[in-house]
Amino acid sequence: MDEVLLLSRAQFGLNIGFHILFPTLTIALAWILLYFRIRYAQSGDPAWLATYKLWTKVFALTFAMGVVTGITMSFQFGTNWPGFMLKVGNIAGPLLAYEVLTAFFLEATFLGIMLFGMNRVPGWMHIFASAMVAIGTSLSAFWILALNSWMQTPTGHVVQAGQIIAGDWWQVLFNPSFPYRFTHMLIASGLTAAFVVAGLSAWRLLRAQDDKSARATLRTGLVLAAVLAPAQVIVGDQHGMNTLEHQPAKIAAIEAIWKTEKGVPLVLLAIPDDEKRRNDFAIEIPKGASLLLKHDADAELKGLDAFAPDTAPVAPVFFAFRAMVGIGVLMFIVAWWGVWATRRGMLPPRWMLWTFAGFTFSGWAATECGWIVTEIGRQPWLVTGILRTADAAGGASGAQLGASLTGYVITYAGMFLAYMVVLTHLAGKGTQA
Amino acid sequence: MSLDLPLVFAALMGLAMLLYVVLDGYDLGVGMLMPAADAREQDLMVASIGPFWDANETWLVLGVGILLVAFPAAHGVVLGVLYLPVAWMLIGLMLRGVAFEFRMKAEGWHRELWNWLFWFGSFLTSFAQGFMLGRYITGFHPGFGYTLFALLVGASLCGGYVLLGATWLILKTQGVLQGKALGWARWGLAWVALAIALVSLATPFASQSVQLKWFDFPRTLALLLLPLATLAAGWLVWGATGRLKRGEPAPDWVPFAAAVAIFTLAFAGLAYSLFPFVVIDRMTIWEAAAHPSALKFMLVGVVIVLPFLIAYTAFAYRVFRGKASTGLYE
Repeated sequence: MDEVLLLSRAQFGLNIGFHILFPTLTIALAWILLYFRIRYAQSGDPAWLATYKLWTKVFALTFAMGVVTGITMSFQFGTNWPGFMLKVGNIAGPLLAYEVLTAFFLEATFLGIMLFGMNRVPGWMHIFASAMVAIGTSLSAFWILALNSWMQTPTGHVVQAGQIIAGDWWQVLFNPSFPYRFTHMLIASGLTAAFVVAGLSAWRLLRAQDDKSARATLRTGLVLAAVLAPAQVIVGDQHGMNTLEHQPAKIAAIEAIWKTEKGVPLVLLAIPDDEKRRNDFAIEIPKGASLLLKHDADAELKGLDAFAPDTAPVAPVFFAFRAMVGIGVLMFIVAWWGVWATRRGMLPPRWMLWTFAGFTFSGWAATECGWIVTEIGRQPWLVTGILRTADAAGGASGAQLGASLTGYVITYAGMFLAYMVVLTHLAGKGTQA
Repeated sequence: MSLDLPLVFAALMGLAMLLYVVLDGYDLGVGMLMPAADAREQDLMVASIGPFWDANETWLVLGVGILLVAFPAAHGVVLGVLYLPVAWMLIGLMLRGVAFEFRMKAEGWHRELWNWLFWFGSFLTSFAQGFMLGRYITGFHPGFGYTLFALLVGASLCGGYVLLGATWLILKTQGVLQGKALGWARWGLAWVALAIALVSLATPFASQSVQLKWFDFPRTLALLLLPLATLAAGWLVWGATGRLKRGEPAPDWVPFAAAVAIFTLAFAGLAYSLFPFVVIDRMTIWEAAAHPSALKFMLVGVVIVLPFLIAYTAFAYRVFRGKASTGLYE
């Protein structure tokens, strides 16, 4: 049974970890494309059209990756976690159905018109199709994050004859953590797309300095990132406060607070030891955690001992959180620095262009870390207080899971390699692609 | 009188599955026909399905989604038993989905590789779906004979999708490629005829409850309408492709419409055989249904969204009506 649980988690984790890369990019890139498309409609400048076409190719590729890995995910909800649907299917099911009905068909159908229909429909209709794709991707995020947030902080449900059903769908959708998680994710998507646009444009400029389109998109990406980075700091902090209120055990794991105490220090870096339940080599700020989380240096914070034995493994959550914050801070600095260096149409020096290129996928790294924090941080619960992850597994045997996992790993590795090759190829050629 | 929600959702699931099989069927069929065409024709073939394949696959997500959401107990049984073929199908779907994008951007042997993967993914998906159908209609009984039967259905579905794909190409192309497609369609039809005959003969042996439903006079006489209508549709495909081959005037949409009719009739027969079971002999749709509160909430969404969905799908097909041409922005 342990083997089945472990393999189910490994397989599902691999799949969602791989899948989330692509929506994270497309949610915001769809809106950026709409911006390019409208700029072209307003100016009639063929440079904007070329820019739009280039980024549409990147979008189509990324979207296809998201679609196929998403279909896999929709099956794995059932195949890997049969207990999930049996227990909370009456809540989770309709939310997933609404995602398919309102978002998937919308984006898939209008993407066809957006990609292949530019000369077949009037300009306004093409802009409308681009807008529908953007709305579709964001709607999709709305439903899936509503479900994820409900699993983290369930409200609005009632138990009737042993079954969990929705008492109030509004409360199910707008559960306590949803507004924070949704905003946090949308901004993360914006930052990811902004850095991809800036990074690939910088990559192009390293090869052809006089590419005007690449200069324009470098600036677009950097400005967008510079606007969103401070917003993410505020939203992230609020999200943390919300987690402290509704999932205090997760905060205890993030901050590696083992014992409930007053005036808890903020652990900047350490090696948390899950066996001995303590931190080794800790660098701490005295009373920092109490001050940061409760705005009072002597306030009491609940440690992991208060939630034992229902606590998450500390080390992965602790490190992933610090990695996320660290990458975020670097992105903040690079974005502002980049905006300064590209002011009044200036071309940054080559070493800076290399820096932007190096930060192309920084948004992906930070987003992955963020999801590791929130998903491992809620363990051992799949649905907080309602369903344990261990009780949802089953269905397939270890051998079946192992065989299919091998197939997925090979397929994903091949797909990812091809994706990266095509992306660098497209970026290298720029709007002449 | 209150609404029989499980029945409504069974009908919706059936509709979504039928639409999936017909719509993704033609683009999977086009994928399987790739090796039979030259490079320029391959580009046209891919262009003919380019604007549609993504939305087509969404019907699968909806169909399986309804199974998952409206009949959770059945979903657990079905997808649990079919775990491995589902995984193969998913890998097939992934390969062909991304191959679609990659082949457009690749050159030289890379392009050849993606063409090959596009074919392989289409074939793997189709075969896995047929295999699962074979396992499903025989109630997942273990044993060599049943596995053989499932393999047979797997091959049959490939033939059916080839028929759909070829008739789609007759509709969307012209000249030499259309000529080739006419030949493919006739081969596909022969394959489908053989497959339907074999599956129809084998099914009563494979499942006793199907046997009882089929040989229940006088209802059997009314049921005979299904194979007769299927024969008529098959004859239409044969006749129309024959006239087009000889250069006689015939509408180019008839073969595709008749192929869709064959699928619809086969689907109706299957639905009749299985009803009211969602897992044959084990679980009826009412036993497997989710809580009414969940079903009601979803029905509201379906009723509101479905008209829009149909309208913009129809709009997309209207935008891309006529013969296909290559090029991303044409």
